[in-house]
Amino acid sequence: MTTLTATALPRRLIDRITRQSVQRFALRRGPIAVILILLGYLATQSPLVLSSNNLWSSLVQAAPIAVVSFGLALVVMGGGNDAVNGGIDLSLPASAALATVIIADQLTHIGTPFVLALGLAVAAALVIGGVNALLVSRIGLPPILATLGTYVSVVGISRVVSQNRRINVDDPVITWVRDADILGAPAPVVLMVVLMALVWLLGHRSALGMRIQASGGSRDAAEAAGINVRRTVAYTYVLASVIAGVAAVLLLARGSGSSPGIDEQLLVDTVLATFVGAAFSPRNVVTVPGAMLGAILVALLSNALILNRVSNSWVDGWKGVLILIVVIAAAFQTRERK
Amino acid sequence: MTVGIRGSIAARMSRSGLLDIALRGAFIIMFALLFAMFSVQSPNFLTGSNLVNILEGSAILLVVALALTVVVLSGGIDLSVGVALDFGAWFTVVAMLSWGLPWHVAVLCGLGGGALIGVLNAVLIVVLRVTPFLATLGTFFIGRSVQQIGTNGGANINYRNAPEGFQQLAGGSTFGIPNEVWIVAVLALIFYVGLTRSTLGRRIDAMGVQDSAARVAGLRTRRYRALVYIGSAVVASIAGILLLSGLRIYTPLSGFSYLLDGIAAVFIGASIHRHTRPNVVGTIIGVLFLSMLNVGLDLVGIDFNTKAALRGVVLVVALALAFTVSRYAYRRATVAAASGKEA
Repeated sequence: MTTLTATALPRRLIDRITRQSVQRFALRRGPIAVILILLGYLATQSPLVLSSNNLWSSLVQAAPIAVVSFGLALVVMGGGNDAVNGGIDLSLPASAALATVIIADQLTHIGTPFVLALGLAVAAALVIGGVNALLVSRIGLPPILATLGTYVSVVGISRVVSQNRRINVDDPVITWVRDADILGAPAPVVLMVVLMALVWLLGHRSALGMRIQASGGSRDAAEAAGINVRRTVAYTYVLASVIAGVAAVLLLARGSGSSPGIDEQLLVDTVLATFVGAAFSPRNVVTVPGAMLGAILVALLSNALILNRVSNSWVDGWKGVLILIVVIAAAFQTRERK
Repeated sequence: MTVGIRGSIAARMSRSGLLDIALRGAFIIMFALLFAMFSVQSPNFLTGSNLVNILEGSAILLVVALALTVVVLSGGIDLSVGVALDFGAWFTVVAMLSWGLPWHVAVLCGLGGGALIGVLNAVLIVVLRVTPFLATLGTFFIGRSVQQIGTNGGANINYRNAPEGFQQLAGGSTFGIPNEVWIVAVLALIFYVGLTRSTLGRRIDAMGVQDSAARVAGLRTRRYRALVYIGSAVVASIAGILLLSGLRIYTPLSGFSYLLDGIAAVFIGASIHRHTRPNVVGTIIGVLFLSMLNVGLDLVGIDFNTKAALRGVVLVVALALAFTVSRYAYRRATVAAASGKEA
């Protein structure tokens, strides 16, 4: 069949078709290809990159980034991909940071039991998510502006709570999350996968998930179909914030406590992981499992760069370049679709 | 952005009505109340030198906010203004210290440094058609790490004995008013005239209200859009140069702190405008409000960490108020339009 069409079609057309498919492949999988090539190169430079030690530690490092990215993925899925008026929540890393500060402060300074401290942190995250939902859905602020505002406020509030100091945590639950192995895998990795499954069910397989997808796909069509888009979008902000609050446990385990200023690095990493992750989905849209794979790739890349003795500032630079590649590929794709 | 489209409809429809005036004044009333509160709380607040302090404190933020006013007016956003500011200061100080250039030329280098950021944004947005938010976010990340790499991880560059002329840019004063305030006032005047009285300003406005309509009407929107992003970066680098001149020190990544305040000032300003569009006078009021808040909170004697939180919260409240007002005006306008059709 293929040989028949190949001989029947003029050569020029075949050329064009192959060129198109190459182009399409480059656009869809370009970002991942760039990361993999870079990783491959770094692995040849330093054998440590592919050691099982490094692979596990990359997974552990990816865990908190991935969990915050699940929340961001929900918001982007519900708000659509348009950057200014579409869904974006820049305050998620700040919520996660505030939750770590609250848990650390409660555990270390006050001596609250872990469950209560976690409850308090999640409640705080819930409030932040509620404020975001109110600002975006009710008042109609562009999401980027609203969440940039809450980001600054929440960073300020965590500074008040922590007095801008590091708080060490040696609570048994946190140390267990840090050190335990479940079925041969480190606990943070298992937690990451379990949370991924839960958020995936919620965002991709539940009735609410369908409404979220529909609202993000086409606001007008969703509204015409009788979906309360405003409420659905509001839910995504609240859910995302709560998920970020839960990620605090992983952040605390990773750092054995809370340190000031983790929110900034987390912001870069989650945005990168979420949007790189889109390249893993068949339709090249942001998804929850994609966000996890994106986070793992980003962590692998950071570790590989550091193992190659690349300085921290360059690691950030590489991440910036990657964000641009992702973004440019996405822009070309929307143009192609039009 | 939707604000613009809504705003212009609102403008055409609701010309009158005391309620509308009161609504638009909501922010001004909040401004006045806070001003009164600070004056009562701290006896030093209402003194002449403190008011000059507020003006001086506003200068650099105003320059950044003016750059953002034009970008938002054109229907975009620029998250990399802070990096453009940093580049302005960085290139200027390096040109003077390492290359030994006279300060006039160094200032041009600083503007060129800002222009680099603007050109990168323009290429991403106009040529590669990346959305402004993601494009400028990418530029922001890259500009940030370039600075870290170039300064060995973010070390300050001191320049205590900068040339006298350069120091006078921000430090000196003419007729008893700081030079910095003069420069920024002239810049604001240029922006005001440019946006309200020139064809260019009208065209940027039209592009922001509805891009496709502007294109159908024959505007070369791509050219104007490129101009807007390069212009905003160059103007932001002026802020960096003024900052350097005043402090005689370049601190990498110091521009970021102006970003949110700048965006907030622009949107506060838009909420005051009759057409709820970004505008120079509104932006100036927004900037004055924010620096009053800054100085006032200091004088009342709130500790550093609490102040950071309070400022953020007041910002969010101010933005929420500004948007509620413009939404309400829009709703009234559509109601008025509907009843107008019936009649």
